[in-house]
Amino acid sequence: MKIPGGGASSYPPYIHDWKTSAMASWICSLTLLPVVVWSTVLYGRAAAQVWAVALASSIVSEAIASGLSRRWTLGDGSAVLTGLLVATAMPPGVPLYVPAISAAFAVLIVKAAFGGLGANWMNPALAGVAFAYANWPAAMREYVLPRAVSGVDGVSAATPMAFAKGLASIDQGRVMDALRGASYPLSSMDSSVTGLLNDSIFSKLGARLPDGYVDLAIGFKPGTLGESALLAVLAGSIVLVCLRLIKPLIPAAMLVVFAILARAFGTGLPGEVFFGGDVLFALSSGSVMLTAFYMAADPVSSPVGRLPSLVYGAAIGALCFAFRRWGSFSEGVAYAVLVMNVIAPFMERTVAGLGARGRTREP
Amino acid sequence: MMRARGFKRGGVPVNQRVPFQTGPIENAFLPMNAVVLLKDTFTAVEPFPVVHVGQEVREGQLLAKSAGRGSSNVHSPIPGIVRRIDSVKTPGGFDSKAVLVSLEGSFSVLGKRPERYLWKSLNKADISHIVQEKGIVCVSNGEPLFEMIADRSSKPGFVMVISALETDPYRRTEEELLALRPEDVIDGCAIAARMALPARILLAVDEHIDATTVDRLRDIIVSSELDVSIQAFKRRFPQEMPRQIADALDIDDAGSLFVLEPSTLIALHEAVVANKPHIEQYVYIGGGSIKRPAILKARIGAPIGDLIEECGGFSGTPDTIVIGGPFRGRSAADLDASVTRTTRAVLALTAEETRSAPERPCVRCGDCVEICPEGLDPYSMLKLLRVGRNEEAGAIGLDRCTSCGVCAYACRSRIPLVRYFDDARRNEVRR
Repeated sequence: MKIPGGGASSYPPYIHDWKTSAMASWICSLTLLPVVVWSTVLYGRAAAQVWAVALASSIVSEAIASGLSRRWTLGDGSAVLTGLLVATAMPPGVPLYVPAISAAFAVLIVKAAFGGLGANWMNPALAGVAFAYANWPAAMREYVLPRAVSGVDGVSAATPMAFAKGLASIDQGRVMDALRGASYPLSSMDSSVTGLLNDSIFSKLGARLPDGYVDLAIGFKPGTLGESALLAVLAGSIVLVCLRLIKPLIPAAMLVVFAILARAFGTGLPGEVFFGGDVLFALSSGSVMLTAFYMAADPVSSPVGRLPSLVYGAAIGALCFAFRRWGSFSEGVAYAVLVMNVIAPFMERTVAGLGARGRTREP
Repeated sequence: MMRARGFKRGGVPVNQRVPFQTGPIENAFLPMNAVVLLKDTFTAVEPFPVVHVGQEVREGQLLAKSAGRGSSNVHSPIPGIVRRIDSVKTPGGFDSKAVLVSLEGSFSVLGKRPERYLWKSLNKADISHIVQEKGIVCVSNGEPLFEMIADRSSKPGFVMVISALETDPYRRTEEELLALRPEDVIDGCAIAARMALPARILLAVDEHIDATTVDRLRDIIVSSELDVSIQAFKRRFPQEMPRQIADALDIDDAGSLFVLEPSTLIALHEAVVANKPHIEQYVYIGGGSIKRPAILKARIGAPIGDLIEECGGFSGTPDTIVIGGPFRGRSAADLDASVTRTTRAVLALTAEETRSAPERPCVRCGDCVEICPEGLDPYSMLKLLRVGRNEEAGAIGLDRCTSCGVCAYACRSRIPLVRYFDDARRNEVRR
């Protein structure tokens, strides 16, 4: 009597966890959906076009790579995720060839040319972003205000970070108050929500939330597509951590180290004092959060093991701080991760090697 | 209730068990043809057949005689005629001689009411002789029970663990036997203790065991005058493996544990008090493709297809038929595979249960490292094996891998890690 089904796997175990690498990519992509929606609400067609072009470019590139290697890999979801992540780093209204070429570079050169998913030694999306910054520096720094703040489309403005760096002095590290003093635009949404929070929660704790942070969180400021939806990014990150799709130690170590350093040495803004840095401002501007959870914690390009993960995350946090503090570009965080991507295999050998030797001593 | 213990790291928590209708365990129908494998496991030594083709055999008559250490007597599970003696490929992947007996004639041993011998008047040597004679093997590892006990009794100071732990989502034979036949299990335990002389005895039970069963066991233990303590364990795979039991008990050396299951003790008990050879086996038949999952008391040599049919057959199409547990069992090539003394479960799993997917490249997620109950680094082990650095792989943990299957269970890329590990070690042995 033959078995009707035939028996797919021939070696134990015969049951498996629900997670597959393909499903992880698809869920990751799904968690970015709120970011897509929110940025489109904020910037309208300018944002939607960037998302669509990056996505289309990465899918076509993956199809080409599949054709060349005769291995159909679009189903693993990694191309779609890469396309979406490339788009998160783009400012709305960027010329559409920028996301198109960057996404193609990410998928074709950084991923496929090195052997496809699992073999890429750099995070493809970040490499694509770095590629864009290197080739079109001006276009990548051309930011606009969302409609909700300016009332019209396409009013260009500096990001809060760039603006603050240009100020003459910031009193006692109060970045937000300084921004207001220099008449940086503030939305009415911010004033009302901040007022509500101050009245209901912070007044009871004897604290006050300055105006402006709510704008940073909900994206009522000029910035990239990913930056504009901080709350959506955080929600997605919680899903990723709860489902254990990423290595949570990496973003944890990275953010802790980054926050401590930002507190101690400031964010490179004028007039900062020692241990007077604005941590909230540092964490919510630039794409620190998105990079921490979606790129630094990308399993393929990060080391395996708890100790290497901790060291890796901490090093990214420190580099990210250094690049932003003393470098002038907001993409410092992307370069921090890329540098560590390159070092990750070496780190895994040395740090993990130490860990393994430590374990063998046990009975 | 008592605090449940668990091993320290990794493992797969069994949050949901497949529902099971508990009730008295039924005897499976006698098979028309029993294919009796003479070798239960890869490591067992094949016994010599003592019957010839065409010979008429009684139920329980000796078919093959032990060939020395690692080998056990094999008896005919049914009365009938020996039709063939041939070498067959077992589901475990090794070759074994098998004796085919066709049912004919009448029952003797099991049709009668069992006589009950008072074993307490027997001495250690007498009991050991019976256990050897009746071909009793340890159900979990297939080793001859009298050898295991003799080895133990020569090195005193060990803990005898009666393990009713079943930490996969399916099988619960040991749990049921403990609840349905506690007197026989404890009596079997007393027999084993008389022979092996353990320092103490521990009854390992599931953390969710019901209180009435525990009370009943306590009463029986008191009247048996054995020194048995009951300990609950968390329901997390692979808690039932000796290393993980030792880890949960904070015992460094798993070798100081002597683990026996209720089903082995019942076989032992029946051999000693009822003179019954090891020709029956409690088999859990389950999995998503089985209509009515049940525990059957089956004759060895019975084809698994018959047992599945007795459970109402398949509902839907099974993806894989597994003999043994879902983590460590072996897939059956067809439904003619026969029950042996180590067949504890037959699972017909649906595609939703197996969740198999094509193997993809490693994405370095590190889940295997997190989940390994031995605290090993399967990721690095595989990486080293793939570049041929087998010795280094052995040094960082391959030598301590127990093939529990948890890493491959968790692998997102569905890499059959355990297969690579087992293959590497098998080649090492050959060299």
